[in-house]
Amino acid sequence: MSGQHTNSEIAVRVRRLEERLIGAGLTSDDELDAIIGQVTSGSPANGARVVARAWVDPGYRERLLADGNAALAELGFSMSTGPQPQRFTVVENTPTRHNVLVCTLCSCYPIALLGPSPSWYKSEAYRARVVREPRAVLAEFGLELPADTEIVVHDTSAESRHMVLPMRPAGTEGLSEEELARLVTREGLIGTAAV
Amino acid sequence: MGEPRFAVGDRVRTSTVDPPHHTRLPRYARGQVGEVVEVQGCWPLADDRARGLSDPRVEPVYTVRFPAEALWGPPGGHWVQVELWESYLEGAT
Amino acid sequence: MARVHDVGGQTGFGPVPPVEEDEPPFHADWEARVYALNVAMLRRGVYNLDQFRDAIERMPPAEYLAASYYERWLHAVETLTADKAGDG
Repeated sequence: MSGQHTNSEIAVRVRRLEERLIGAGLTSDDELDAIIGQVTSGSPANGARVVARAWVDPGYRERLLADGNAALAELGFSMSTGPQPQRFTVVENTPTRHNVLVCTLCSCYPIALLGPSPSWYKSEAYRARVVREPRAVLAEFGLELPADTEIVVHDTSAESRHMVLPMRPAGTEGLSEEELARLVTREGLIGTAAV
Repeated sequence: MGEPRFAVGDRVRTSTVDPPHHTRLPRYARGQVGEVVEVQGCWPLADDRARGLSDPRVEPVYTVRFPAEALWGPPGGHWVQVELWESYLEGAT
Repeated sequence: MARVHDVGGQTGFGPVPPVEEDEPPFHADWEARVYALNVAMLRRGVYNLDQFRDAIERMPPAEYLAASYYERWLHAVETLTADKAGDG
């Protein structure tokens, strides 16, 4: 949302900027609409599909962990629609290790695959605290991990973008790949939920 | 762009310098010793690109792991991994 | 550069905002337009992503903290295109 200014004040400012840049020949309404269409085609559902495939197909899981970009391409996804080419890596949760993702410096996120990041991920509170007190932050999300689970916090400070491969929940042996995908949340893909 | 100076398992020390320009070494990780856990490949240095340099240095980027206790004191108990360009790093024994 | 954006490990920010159920990609049309303007300028090479981040980081600290995420983006795009006239 807005900080100190009302939405309508900012909207006017944005429209003026748009008009100036279109007038300068640097973009067009069509291009702007297309970019919005492209980014909103990214969503956590894409990540969920990747996770579900990795859960049912051990070969895919191995390939996903070895080369995220290539594994995305197998499912028709790509990280190349973002502002610049990005290396995509997946980090796997295990019974002894839990991964959680952050970008402390700004909020880098695999937008091309998952769409825009959630507001909480962009907050100073999350960016400041999760590197320093991850257990407390995860507890705020309702995730309590066993004391002997190692926590690794990944600060996305360079040109790679990451996603968590959550553990497959117990008791899901009978579910189809589609049903499995529906279990996966955006928070699970970032590491602030178990799945 | 040369061969990576560091390999997985190497201990490295991060710069203590606060540069007068954009950089991607977070303050909390300055002047710290960590372990290389991944060699990521080469990327144009953010510091150079931010300054609009026409020929930015292209350097290996490393995932470096730090124990939280080293960064902020006890109790620690978790790891923090940061992705760092080679010029942010020196070898550490 | 030791600027206010570098918040990792800083204290005093309070609880993490709660998860918004069914959060939309953008909370207002203007956010989507700012997003798109930035991508368009990046594609056209008006500036690069590191210059964009740098522009946000150069905001005066109080302004940075008071601004919402996309307000920061707006500030950066405006700053980096200030010399582009609209009557071209």
